[in-house]
Amino acid sequence: MTTESNEQKSRYRQYLELVTGSLEDKRRYRQYKARIRRLPENYRTAAEALERYLMMLGPADGAGAMAMYEDLADLLEQSAADGTPIRDLFGEDPVEFVEAFMANYPAGQWRSRERNRFTSAIERAAGEDTGGKDRAV
Amino acid sequence: MGKQATEMLKGTLEGIVLAILADRPAYGYEITAWLREQGFSDIAEGTIYALLVRIEQRGLVDVEKVPSEKGPPRKVYSLNTQGREYLEEFWRTWSFLAERLEQLRKGGE
Repeated sequence: MTTESNEQKSRYRQYLELVTGSLEDKRRYRQYKARIRRLPENYRTAAEALERYLMMLGPADGAGAMAMYEDLADLLEQSAADGTPIRDLFGEDPVEFVEAFMANYPAGQWRSRERNRFTSAIERAAGEDTGGKDRAV
Repeated sequence: MGKQATEMLKGTLEGIVLAILADRPAYGYEITAWLREQGFSDIAEGTIYALLVRIEQRGLVDVEKVPSEKGPPRKVYSLNTQGREYLEEFWRTWSFLAERLEQLRKGGE
């Protein structure tokens, strides 16, 4: 299974992925969805709600997002196996949990891009721009 | 646990978890259970998991996957050298903070 991904991608596949996005990511996403479908109903309901939140506010796509979904599936499968109550898993404020979780996957998040942009803008405004450009004093 | 305690705990939770792992390797569920026993009742297991993912990404712990009777293999976390250095720094910071706050309570100098 992994030997194929180590081989150089065919030219055809390179072109195809330009259009469709990474096939490897799609395969990982399908595997994640299958793992979620096998969860007990209340964990599945929580997973779907989490997925919506992460889709709207988290990393858009790509390998970073897939790592995030796989970590989420690990957590839910383990909790279901341990019989951890939903409330013990997510706490009184589930937003706090999801934000702490999401912060681990900054790649591909529009929030990260905007944070970097903002930080650089303040650096320039403070006259600390070290990018080789003229300093605006 | 009151709201204030929960807020204060947030900043120190990472150090607390590293300190637990300094004693012995543990998996997420064990860490949460220990925290609950110690009276940190409001901590969600998911939050501990997110923290463990973060300290793993930062290379502070080593992770071993151990097969379990039920469910997927468990990830057992143990503190590595880098984690121990980080924990020492945490305790230095903690001592500094505690000392300064105590001074403040006594009326400053």
